[in-house]
Amino acid sequence: MGGYILKRLAYAVPVIIGLSIIVFGIMAAIPGSTALAILGSFATPENVERVNRELGLDLPIWQQYFVWVGNILQGDFGHSYILRRPVLDEILERFSATLILAGASLILCSIFGILAGVVSAVRQFGWTDRIVTFFVLIGISTPAFWLGLLFILIFAVQLRVLPASGMYAVYGGGDLPDLLRHLILPAVTLAIVATGVIARLTRAAMLEVLRQDYVRTARAKGLDERKVIYRHAFKAALVSIIPVIGIQAGFVMGGAVYIETVFQWPGIGAMLVNAISTRDIILVQGGVLLVATTYVLINLLTDVAQALLDPRLKT
Amino acid sequence: MKKLLAGAAIAVLMAASPVVAQTPPNVLVIGQIAEPQTLDPQVSTAANDFRILTNVFEGLVRFAEGTLEVEPALATEWTISDDGLVYTFTLREGVTFHDGTPFNAEAVKFTFDRMLDESHPFYETGPFPLSFNFADVTETTVVDEYTVEFTLGTPFAPFLTNLATNTGVIVSPSAVEEFGDEFGRNPVGTGPFRFEEWASNTRVVVSRNNEYWGDPAGVETVVFRPITDANTRVAEMLSGGIDIMVEVPPDNVAMFADDPTFTVYDAVGPHVWYVMLNAKEGPFADPLVRQAANYAVNKETLVNDVLQGTADVSAGPIPPAFAWAYNDAVEPYPYDPEMAQQLLEESGVEDLAVTFYVTEGGSGMLDPIPMGTAIQADLEAVGFDVTIETYEWNTFLAEVNPGLEGKADMAEMAWMTTDPDTLPFLTLRTAAWPEEGGFNSSYYSNVDVDEMLDQARMETDPEVRAALYRDVQQVVHDDAPWIFVANWKQNAISTANVEGFELQPDFNLTLRNVTKQ
Amino acid sequence: MTQALATTSTSVSTARLSSWSLLLNNRLATAGLIILTVIGAIALLAPWLPIPNPNTTLPANRLQPILSDGHLLGTDHLGRDILSRLIWGSRVSIAVGVSATLIAALVGSLIGLVSGYARGTTDNVLMRGIDMIMAFPYILLALAIVAVLGPGLLNALYAIAIVNIPFFARNVRGITVGLASREFVDAARLSGKTHAAILFTEVLPNVLPVIVITMSTTVGWMILETAGLSFLGLGAQPPQADLGSMLGEGRRLLFTAPHVSIIPGLMIFALVMSINLLGDGVRDVLDPRLRAGDLTRPLSVTRVKRKTAPAPVEASDAILDVRGLETSFQRGRATVPAVKGVSFALRKGECMGLIGESGSGKSVTALSLLGLVASPPGVITDGTVAIEGEDVFSRSETGIRALRGAKVAYVFQDPLTTLHPLYRVGEQIAEAITAHQRIGKGEARARAIALMEQVGIRDAKDRVDAYPHEMSGGQRQRIGIAMALANDPDIIIADEPTTALDVTVQAKILDLLQNLRKERGMALLLITHDFGVVAQVCDRVAVMKDGEIVEAGETAELLRAPQHPYTQKLIACVPELGQGKAFLETVRPLFAEGKP
Repeated sequence: MGGYILKRLAYAVPVIIGLSIIVFGIMAAIPGSTALAILGSFATPENVERVNRELGLDLPIWQQYFVWVGNILQGDFGHSYILRRPVLDEILERFSATLILAGASLILCSIFGILAGVVSAVRQFGWTDRIVTFFVLIGISTPAFWLGLLFILIFAVQLRVLPASGMYAVYGGGDLPDLLRHLILPAVTLAIVATGVIARLTRAAMLEVLRQDYVRTARAKGLDERKVIYRHAFKAALVSIIPVIGIQAGFVMGGAVYIETVFQWPGIGAMLVNAISTRDIILVQGGVLLVATTYVLINLLTDVAQALLDPRLKT
Repeated sequence: MKKLLAGAAIAVLMAASPVVAQTPPNVLVIGQIAEPQTLDPQVSTAANDFRILTNVFEGLVRFAEGTLEVEPALATEWTISDDGLVYTFTLREGVTFHDGTPFNAEAVKFTFDRMLDESHPFYETGPFPLSFNFADVTETTVVDEYTVEFTLGTPFAPFLTNLATNTGVIVSPSAVEEFGDEFGRNPVGTGPFRFEEWASNTRVVVSRNNEYWGDPAGVETVVFRPITDANTRVAEMLSGGIDIMVEVPPDNVAMFADDPTFTVYDAVGPHVWYVMLNAKEGPFADPLVRQAANYAVNKETLVNDVLQGTADVSAGPIPPAFAWAYNDAVEPYPYDPEMAQQLLEESGVEDLAVTFYVTEGGSGMLDPIPMGTAIQADLEAVGFDVTIETYEWNTFLAEVNPGLEGKADMAEMAWMTTDPDTLPFLTLRTAAWPEEGGFNSSYYSNVDVDEMLDQARMETDPEVRAALYRDVQQVVHDDAPWIFVANWKQNAISTANVEGFELQPDFNLTLRNVTKQ
Repeated sequence: MTQALATTSTSVSTARLSSWSLLLNNRLATAGLIILTVIGAIALLAPWLPIPNPNTTLPANRLQPILSDGHLLGTDHLGRDILSRLIWGSRVSIAVGVSATLIAALVGSLIGLVSGYARGTTDNVLMRGIDMIMAFPYILLALAIVAVLGPGLLNALYAIAIVNIPFFARNVRGITVGLASREFVDAARLSGKTHAAILFTEVLPNVLPVIVITMSTTVGWMILETAGLSFLGLGAQPPQADLGSMLGEGRRLLFTAPHVSIIPGLMIFALVMSINLLGDGVRDVLDPRLRAGDLTRPLSVTRVKRKTAPAPVEASDAILDVRGLETSFQRGRATVPAVKGVSFALRKGECMGLIGESGSGKSVTALSLLGLVASPPGVITDGTVAIEGEDVFSRSETGIRALRGAKVAYVFQDPLTTLHPLYRVGEQIAEAITAHQRIGKGEARARAIALMEQVGIRDAKDRVDAYPHEMSGGQRQRIGIAMALANDPDIIIADEPTTALDVTVQAKILDLLQNLRKERGMALLLITHDFGVVAQVCDRVAVMKDGEIVEAGETAELLRAPQHPYTQKLIACVPELGQGKAFLETVRPLFAEGKP
């Protein structure tokens, strides 16, 4: 297992190096510049040149890349040009916010998605199945950012039971209940699509497993139906549900961009959008690498979880 | 599984049950449009940062409330030499920075040298993008503890107003020395509020400066919250999460105005929203076609319907907020499609296919896409064939600033300035064509305008200066290098228990007089 | 989408009619098809419909509510007719969704095919590329593409297409890997076909259904994605309408004029939902397992719907008495019997063989006895099964469950698939005990070890924690038998217990069964296709063909003088050692009659 994990991590290295080169290349190819973002309407060529010189942005792009790599190897992620603070501080702070949001919605979508999927498989063609299917379809057919606004309108503006945006109350608060209160709306919004996807796939996986010979064996043993479904069928279905959750984890991180903007959640998705629009290459790099690494780790985690569940996959 | 669900449900209920608290009295929460980039006044370029900075820092002079005319601030009086090259300021005594450093001529010299002198030990704390406003200063001299002298290389009339902008405010030398690069996150000035905390992406907190030389501020604490999405900002305002919000989307203004629990503010500002027309090539090379475009666009509809009355129709390149230099005699082009068609016929230009650069957002751009779309429809109604290309703001600037030649025929643009000189000087002179290093991206050129602008810049007599600007307006209006569209009225909303708040024409957010029950 | 459907139905042209009827059988899919057709037709007909120009602005007349004069759905922020923009916008969105899907499917499938077929370095490089795409923030990608190609919906489309490539690539690769090692691909390779030819003529046709299925589920996503892109300002250029940008522009008016965004929101919902419903339907039609009804949830007990009221059970000395059993399968609306009026009885301690070729209905008969035939599609349509003088099918579900594994236990054919792969064998045996007896965990484990020893597993104490895949075939079958013995049943039904094993192991397992039966006095119903096995262990035998028992009797007698020609054939098929070629000579004439 240990060797396998090491091998997988080794595979990730070229991916991350490649990504960093592509990100640099793309950022260089996009018109616009950090200087423009700083100077706005006052970006005369003279001013642009001065700002670039002072930021070290007057070097050719490949030199900038190697300077960056050199710094990274020394553990220095650099300073954001726009935010004027260490990239590492910013991305870690932002990333932990995203992790809380994405983690919460991943938990929500796993619980509700699996539950809905199992129930609708077990009650196939029954009313429960139809109701679940209907809500699942609503979930996967509605743009999340729009739903988020609707939630704000209902729960924050009309009912006033939940805060409209932010991660903590600006004044007072800062404790766990405060965080939870702020977390509910964005986490639920973000979880909706993933819940739908997981529910659909869980249903399919359960139906497939329920047809397996070993489920018939369990029945032939005289086990009661709940044990057959929740012990025998569900465990086997979980083996194919876990990778789906892994993929959804990636999606939830991606979808966070919209949700973070709508709910003013100080996460890394909203940061990347900003950093891209201000052409803050170093910040974009740091953010992308962190997200990519997370993605690699999620993949790895998924595979390890799968192997732990299914002894046949152990190498 | 069931237990887990029940647990989750209970957690949700517990978290949801207490009704969201109103912000406490004496604490003012402001909904900002974005996270500040820096709180170093010389480094900052964004109006969003200035809204915070202006409460922490002060300059030698400032704009008198509700006007764009300078009045004493940290300087009590000043003289200008007859040749317009030497400005001598007498400083206010007994003022200290928030960190206890005394305010004196050395501090003034430190502030300007840091920004202008490349050999200054703290020049590295830059870049100082807007330092070109003071580029003509050749030397800052400490005459005595409370007297400071600026020497200019050439006469530069806007110098005094530039000193009143946020780039000209005085910073604490010892704080810059202490924090270096980090000064932008630990600002220290002399203003009515002192900086307390900057929690990234969450809030900036300032508190009342009890040692302030003037009347102390009306509230104890001000919290600035970044909320980038306009809808979310409105939602926070409606749900009581913030006390004051700025840049209210036009469609929401009416909604707040109808509600007695909110107060709506608006104020004219030195803002111009226009569409530049490529005078070098294509149909707009002909002045008749440019005039036709001005007649064809229904500006009344744009400001009253699309912008819901949050702007006025613009007549020329100088906004009416500069009352002293504004020419009332210049009337906006009326909406007259027949006239437009007649002019087009007269011009004999056959090919009316044009490309129109539209941005998706950006400083002062209001609602660029709906406005662009409405303008497109109006122009097509008189025979133009308009293709819109939309760009995100940074890309847009990268496309427009180097000039429209070979790419586009028209582009949206907006400026907010504090001196009538700035906009025409940077965008209408022949010497401001992109290859010369200016922003005249649509290649307008008129020798008379060039001459008048250069002259006005050197002129120290405000009356003569004003007359020159009034003439510029008339000439430019007739040449129609742009479609003159709108002058924005900035707006803000506060809850009804906020008092003493007023918007300022320089787009700053002055909070020292504000109180809250 | 309709195009995608068309290609689908031609690719499976032989099944065309039934595919359509299957699709239309699915009510949800039909609803999806209808909604989609209506939306599609309206969108296509947009130029000829009596609706205002979607781009005519009239700002003075902006934000008119729904049902206002001349504007059925009101007007937007520039006074444009929302209904008209909705119709024209759907046109654009559908086109974008479909074409982006096609691009992603084409590129993604190609990568997946090549990667899964070539394996090795190519695979590695391609898959790392796919990893990069998946780890990449796609707004950055969208911005870059728009920057290089210029703004516009078409260019934004490439961005969403690229983002979706990994799904196709991964799905297709997974299946290709499996196919590439299959015999027919090896055969094609040996016949000298080029790699490209093998990929496109041998592998691709087998992967196609998966591609189509993935496509049908992706189209809806794509339309949603354009909405997301326009949220970031990358989309249709004004004044052109697409659903995404309508929603994006309208969302700013959510507090003042909600209909401006709710209407396109609902339209997106209707469109994406109908595509998803239809997509599910198409998937069901294309997936062979779904087609056979294999992906419906089987009930815990086979459905019983007897044509005639069951006759009262007659007293007899048999512990198992089957009378007139008929089990059928539902095929669409028809019900096809697989077991037709089978009757037999099993006395205490007796061993009876049920023999027949595959498809003869012998396994269905065995499974029917305790209602273990998967249902749907299985239904018990007639007859009674009496165990200890009581009709099984008249019992409640709980009643039947009480018999399973306790009075009557099963041993199944392939222990690799019939043992749960994720549980240790000890647990599985212990579970069989605790299903019927109240004992503690520790005791159950001890009993499981004892049972394993009884069925002849050496080192039972160590093997108790093994997983099925860690054991040999013979050992697994011993576990299966141990599980059946757990509650000391009166009857063991062994369904081809030795078929999956090699010959020497077969003999050992048969010996084991035989010995256990004698020791414990159990009755054994042995299902097999092999007369050699029957001759070895069975007291009596019944021969099944096409769902009916054609001949039954004492084993020795039946072997000596088989009456039915089918029985004769089966007997002749048992080779004897040393017979060699002569065996074929004797068998051949028996089968000659079937040939023309």
